[in-house]
Amino acid sequence: MSNSREITGRSAAGPGNPTTESSVVPASTRELDELVTHEDVDRARDRWKVTQGRAALARRRRLGRFSGLWLLWLLIGPGVLVFLGENDAPSMLTYAATGARFGVGFFLPFTVLTFLMGFVVQEMTARLGAVTHRGHAELIFDRFGSFWGFFAMGDLVLGNFLTLVTEFIGVRAGLGFFGVRPALAVGGALLGVLGAIMTGRYWTWERITLALALFNGLFIPAALLAHPAWGQVGNAMLTWQPLPRGDGNEILLLLLATMGATVTPWMLFFQQSAVVDKGLQPRDIPAARLDTLLGTVLATVFAIAAILATAPLFQHGINAADFQTAQFAQALEPWIGRFGAALFALGIFEAGIVAAVTISTSSAYAFGEVLHSGHSLNRPVRDAWPFYLTLMGSACLAAGLVLIPGAPLEFIILTVNVIAVLAMPPALAFLLILVNDRELMGEHANGFWGNLGGVSVGLVLVAAGLMFSLATVFPRLLRT
Amino acid sequence: MGTDLTGPETPMSEGKNTLGKQGEPDFQDPRVVLSVLEADQLVAAKRRTHFGRRELSPGIRILFWGLRVYVILMLIIVLLSVLRALHGVS
Repeated sequence: MSNSREITGRSAAGPGNPTTESSVVPASTRELDELVTHEDVDRARDRWKVTQGRAALARRRRLGRFSGLWLLWLLIGPGVLVFLGENDAPSMLTYAATGARFGVGFFLPFTVLTFLMGFVVQEMTARLGAVTHRGHAELIFDRFGSFWGFFAMGDLVLGNFLTLVTEFIGVRAGLGFFGVRPALAVGGALLGVLGAIMTGRYWTWERITLALALFNGLFIPAALLAHPAWGQVGNAMLTWQPLPRGDGNEILLLLLATMGATVTPWMLFFQQSAVVDKGLQPRDIPAARLDTLLGTVLATVFAIAAILATAPLFQHGINAADFQTAQFAQALEPWIGRFGAALFALGIFEAGIVAAVTISTSSAYAFGEVLHSGHSLNRPVRDAWPFYLTLMGSACLAAGLVLIPGAPLEFIILTVNVIAVLAMPPALAFLLILVNDRELMGEHANGFWGNLGGVSVGLVLVAAGLMFSLATVFPRLLRT
Repeated sequence: MGTDLTGPETPMSEGKNTLGKQGEPDFQDPRVVLSVLEADQLVAAKRRTHFGRRELSPGIRILFWGLRVYVILMLIIVLLSVLRALHGVS
């Protein structure tokens, strides 16, 4: 790796750093002024709070027994955001479809399993970001070269753009339930994205987006209004019964879509870049793990709530096979009431807008890293305009597509999660090689269990993709 | 999974000589920034230093190419499935 001995800060804690000086900076004040940017200052402010929180926790002073919670509050963010961001409009609609088609049964524990897969993968990206201080795209280009880097970017750009389109479909459909016109709904969502990024501060952006993301919990009251049979829920969780019955092709599509709702390439790129932008360091890895675990648990609970909320449609024999985006909330109204249906519609709207923010940010981070231009939410717009232009440009393009009359929106929704699953194995291969790279990771490299988990997830995804291709080429194979 | 959030103390916790108003250090002083961030967290350091290319073994090359072919084939399959759905062919 190339090296520099010109820039020295606090001693790096691992071999992930190309510069490992530990001495005081031997430079003049003027040189130092030129060295430190606005982005560095903002990040240093956040790090200082963490340092103070850590010191208070060690001394058990200031907030007493709440010091640990205060420190966790400072350090959480990327893990919760990535999982609640991935509980996006197409994902929530996928969960709704499984509830409506198969009720309470196999898909409940299967959803938990897919989130466990997601945790295994995302924990690695958080670790990679905290140790190397580099985004995922940057590391792929640095370590594997631009040939493989552009392939990875191609997968990301295609997947992100299609997913972004589906987020605006969700926004449009969610607000459509309340009679809001599509142009107004989509325009409002774009303003929301713009408002979040215009803060010029990663911390503020993260807290605003986190606050918005917690509204994913709207699916919980919607589920409670559906009066689930808790005994049946417990039984399904333990026995994985009853198994889904019917058209094998449809079941396979929903299996793939459920996997694609928790394990996707954009999540890798987003969380690693967000960890870097937040300024996490190797000593924060336990907190980053907790952050990822918290995100996993919250997203799992909300996803299960979406399944339970739509289970009455299955119980009452309502055929949801041809349901389009907005129709779930309308169809649920007789069973969970107008209020419950409104919560469901608002939940879809929220899922769309939060994911629109996180996914467009993920694209912008990746472009900035590859082009070596400024790519931080701590930078003002004038200093990192290509970053902000990519972010808003991709959002505007996707929003515009949603407003085209007659655009095949339902097909995009159906296939976007499937494409995410199919594009994931190469992304996972890059991740596993990077996180096993001792030159980068040192003592934080993957151990046996991490690799076993990662490889298992990869094999499951490849097997699912191969089954999907067989079922497509031979459609009668799984038909009953 | 470790849950100890404390970690080692850092120099800033003793940085009393650079404290500004309300006990916060003066972040306009670049030395304060440098004392909080790790060396390669600085934007300038990231610009100047890059992790070099790693040697790709034949096994890794085969894996990458295999997965690339897999993705292209799968995208064709997805396209086929979408076209079928559009034309209502089952």
